[in-house]
Amino acid sequence: MLRKTVVLTSLLATAAFTGPAIAADPIKIGVVTPLSGTYTGIGQQVRWGLELATKEVNAAGGIMGRQIELIFEDEEANPAVAVQKAEKLFEVQKVDFLTGTVNSGSTLAVGQTAERAGKLIATTVSFADSITGDKCSPNVFRVNARAGQQSTALAAWVVKQKPKAKVYFLGPDYEMGRSTVSTFKKTVEGLGAVSAGEVFAPLDSKDYTQYFGQLRQAKPEVLYTSVAGNDTVRLLTQMQDFGLLGNMLVVGASGTVTSQNITAVGAAANGFGTGVGYSTQIDSPENKKFVDAFKAANKADPDLYGADSYGLIYFYKAAVEKAKSTATDKVRDAMRGLDWMTPQGKKTMRAGDHQAVQPMYVVRVNDGQFKIVGNVSGEEAVGADICTRF
Amino acid sequence: MTDVFEYIQFVLAPQMITGLALGVAVVLVAIGLTIIFGLLDVINMAHGEFYAVGAYVALALGTSGVSFWLLLIIVPLIMIPIGYIVERGLIQRVFNMPDRHVTTLLLTFGLGLVVEEALKVVFGPNTQRPATPIPGAIEVMGIILPTYRLFLIAVGFAIVAAVAIVVNKTRLGALVRAAAFDRNMAASLGVPVSLVFAGTFAFGVALAGLAGVLLAPIYSVFPTMGRDFVFLAFTVVIVGGMGSISGAVVAGLLITQVQAISSLIVSPVWSDPIVFSIMVLVLVVRPQGLFGRLGHA
Repeated sequence: MLRKTVVLTSLLATAAFTGPAIAADPIKIGVVTPLSGTYTGIGQQVRWGLELATKEVNAAGGIMGRQIELIFEDEEANPAVAVQKAEKLFEVQKVDFLTGTVNSGSTLAVGQTAERAGKLIATTVSFADSITGDKCSPNVFRVNARAGQQSTALAAWVVKQKPKAKVYFLGPDYEMGRSTVSTFKKTVEGLGAVSAGEVFAPLDSKDYTQYFGQLRQAKPEVLYTSVAGNDTVRLLTQMQDFGLLGNMLVVGASGTVTSQNITAVGAAANGFGTGVGYSTQIDSPENKKFVDAFKAANKADPDLYGADSYGLIYFYKAAVEKAKSTATDKVRDAMRGLDWMTPQGKKTMRAGDHQAVQPMYVVRVNDGQFKIVGNVSGEEAVGADICTRF
Repeated sequence: MTDVFEYIQFVLAPQMITGLALGVAVVLVAIGLTIIFGLLDVINMAHGEFYAVGAYVALALGTSGVSFWLLLIIVPLIMIPIGYIVERGLIQRVFNMPDRHVTTLLLTFGLGLVVEEALKVVFGPNTQRPATPIPGAIEVMGIILPTYRLFLIAVGFAIVAAVAIVVNKTRLGALVRAAAFDRNMAASLGVPVSLVFAGTFAFGVALAGLAGVLLAPIYSVFPTMGRDFVFLAFTVVIVGGMGSISGAVVAGLLITQVQAISSLIVSPVWSDPIVFSIMVLVLVVRPQGLFGRLGHA
């Protein structure tokens, strides 16, 4: 080992002027992700997805003959910590690329760090539209679907089921509730649906029956809701008790019905639909292979975070091979407009705002399980490019 | 004109009937609270948590196969010793301190927090829901009414009437009212005052538990469920007259009707501010409440 190092060092000294690094040198990817705290579960999926893809790529000869090395740092889901750890990875470890940030605040903050360091980062998790919208950065890419894509996919599916549908909107009365309702309303109305009214209920409402009068009077064909947690349990079970679920299509935000409350909602959740960027049930050879390998390696099912993080390694590999370099400017150019394969199918990195365009899926609850009922093409779901910085 | 009738038939009437069901739910929670306050002079901040305990006990027994009808009897019987122990072991110790209202309020508030966390540890943080004991709905003139809510309205009135008879018409009730009116006089006439107090507290707690059993199928069961009704119940107790059973019934039904009808006219977010404004107004204009105080004629 020692001899090898000595040989390497002398080789490096002679190669210093000739340019490219030697073949045995690994490509370093920094991973700043929450390994402790509230988002540990998400960080775990990110890690599992990245490690699985890295193992596969390395076994197949790496990227241009170079192995990938992942270097993990715990960001504690705290933007300030994430920035420190990212600086350390860029300056001390000299990583070629960085990923892993989960909450949108961390992604935005680390994006600025990357701009200063002249490096590229990608998020595989953050949902906030602004990351590839008004706060876009030439050094930041997003390989997962943003919030707007989920909403648009759902809206496109709804108008396909019920053209010119009368839609009623019911949201929890705070920032998230109002913004999800207004986004969905704008999208679905743009596709020809008509609003039959909207109501905002206080968080932790006991009894939604007081809104049923207005709901009945409006005679909607579709109900969109973005309530979550206990509120979903009460809203849907009370609607069931009052016979309101019969002829109405109920759709909602991706956080409305989750594994946390689906048992309590019970049969009242049947038929509930939402838009997602990934499901383990996607019926493609790529996804089957991914799900099997993921389960074998981690003894757990992948979720969208695991799948998107897995796909990221192949994104970076494709970009570096196209650029034939790991230099920031060359890789950035290669990433723009790049097509690559993921468990979800083919994704395309949009050049204008660095947002991945990917097929979206609509899932509906059937006996306590989400089943895929429709898909929406990437172009239909991605929405306008409003990034003006580059 | 048909529009007006349609509005009444399909919007206003169902709204008022569902408001009535909610009103009965609130009265069920408030009735135990008002008895404990009116007769014992204790502000029981843990009342909501006793309601939650009742719901969880019902859920646990229900999943192990006990029928809902049996639970309506078993759960209050389980709650009685719990209430008795809390009164003798905790409240009695601070009851005779000079600032009784403050000390009992803080004590029961702390107890409520402990119970809430304990429920989270024992049963987990996720929401659970027992199956509706009487599923189905009845359609009357185009209005759909879930059978269980109609059952709740009927049972609620029966329970309230029974409680009112016990407190106002029986010898036991007379003992309790006497002890509340003047405990020293009652004691010197041979009323076992401390036993009466503990029993009354236990009775109030049992009523909270019964409300938990009855409301769990509609409002679901989770550790913080105790906070749900307790503020509304306190409002009802204050508006109706602290300790007055008929006051709690009238105020409970009135306030929930105000909520139901106002939410048709203004944004439902305003229904809480409207209700609490009524409470503030009553406190300012008629501090003894609509019906005055039980045992303090």
